[in-house]
Amino acid sequence: MRRIKDLGTRHAPKSIRELLSRVVRGHAPTTQVERRPLAYWQEHGWIHSGNRYTGSYHTPYGAFQGWIEEQRSGHADFYLYNPSNEIRSHSHWTCFQHRGSDWYLVHMAKQPKDVSSGIMTIERLIKEAYET
Amino acid sequence: MKKLSVVVAGTGQIRDVEIQSGTTAGDILHQLNLSDYLLSKGPNEPFFAAAESVYDKVRDGEKIFASTKAEVGITVCAA
Repeated sequence: MRRIKDLGTRHAPKSIRELLSRVVRGHAPTTQVERRPLAYWQEHGWIHSGNRYTGSYHTPYGAFQGWIEEQRSGHADFYLYNPSNEIRSHSHWTCFQHRGSDWYLVHMAKQPKDVSSGIMTIERLIKEAYET
Repeated sequence: MKKLSVVVAGTGQIRDVEIQSGTTAGDILHQLNLSDYLLSKGPNEPFFAAAESVYDKVRDGEKIFASTKAEVGITVCAA
């Protein structure tokens, strides 16, 4: 008694045929992709022109418009536009100084040594404001 | 062993390190000569304390950031 019934032949799926042909051909030479060293401000879309940076502080709660003025001494002033109610309710709200047209200077008790570290500090503060 | 890419936030310079179980944030910063920096997985994550073991909190090949210490505040405003 026959236990096996021959159903004929059919093509293997395309993905399997490609995999097998790759095994037969061997791998193509590996291409090493160079990493681009990008400062945090560049990676997050800030634009640098002269002594000014313009862009947004990025947080899980949204992007907040800002600009930064870098002094010759290396000291940088960080500004935030129209802070939300959450930021205004935060314990550090007294550290925001109104500079007109809804722009606020964020006063730093300890200055970051670079603009990127300052942006990250303000992003942390905004996130904290939304979580407390 | 796990591989980590430490991105120095100010310059974008990438420093590749390999860490063993129990390696602390302080060990990494000391090894990379970044004594005035703090390590974090990004601004949405807290900083690693110097004595905190990083090994269990990162994935192999993960990118972490080194940024300089900064505090928002004024003299009367606690940071």
